[in-house]
Amino acid sequence: MKKNTFYILSGCIALVLLAVFWYSVEVHNPLFIEIAFVIGILIAYLARKKVTDLIEDERSTKITEQAVLRTFQIFWVGFCAFSIGAVMQILYVPQFPREFFFTRQPEIISPRMMGYFQLGLLCLTIFLYVGFRMYYARKYGEWETDEE
Amino acid sequence: MKNKIKVFRAMYDLTQEDLAQAIGVTRQTILAIEKGKYVPSLELAFRIARYFKVNIEEVFTYDEESRTVDEK
Repeated sequence: MKKNTFYILSGCIALVLLAVFWYSVEVHNPLFIEIAFVIGILIAYLARKKVTDLIEDERSTKITEQAVLRTFQIFWVGFCAFSIGAVMQILYVPQFPREFFFTRQPEIISPRMMGYFQLGLLCLTIFLYVGFRMYYARKYGEWETDEE
Repeated sequence: MKNKIKVFRAMYDLTQEDLAQAIGVTRQTILAIEKGKYVPSLELAFRIARYFKVNIEEVFTYDEESRTVDEK
């Protein structure tokens, strides 16, 4: 498979996922988009293996590894901090006299808002990854020009 | 890590693209190695040296002062 064919296929997968997402919202069943998302990503991974002219060497692999590592190092802290806070709010059952610890009732974020926030964090991660990838690509000479 | 890839390429009259294709990497990787932006793995260093039919020390020399990009 040619590199451009793979990009076209990836675009098609994204469009199908968008359609399935819309359908899932319409029928109010998240199972469709969840299963479709996993299948879509699997197809993309398998198709990538079939690409013949996509040259990936140890330098590009290192750029990807470094970018993923740094992104994950930042992402997991923020994501865990929010998720722990969210779980704490869901499990909020005061065991001690409240006046002793709180002067007022803490505001509970709705589970829907927690979902939106976590989705937002995931989207932010993509930008973070792109930023780190650009940084490491520059560091390892991706856009160097030669005098040949 | 200093290297003499450019010198060897000139000796063999090779372009970066030719060398890249011969050892199975991208041209950008050869360029990055030549400019000292990327330190190749031991395996790739050996592949380059073997291609020019010389010992690895003749192509790559460890320079204490200019440490690897990662360490900076």
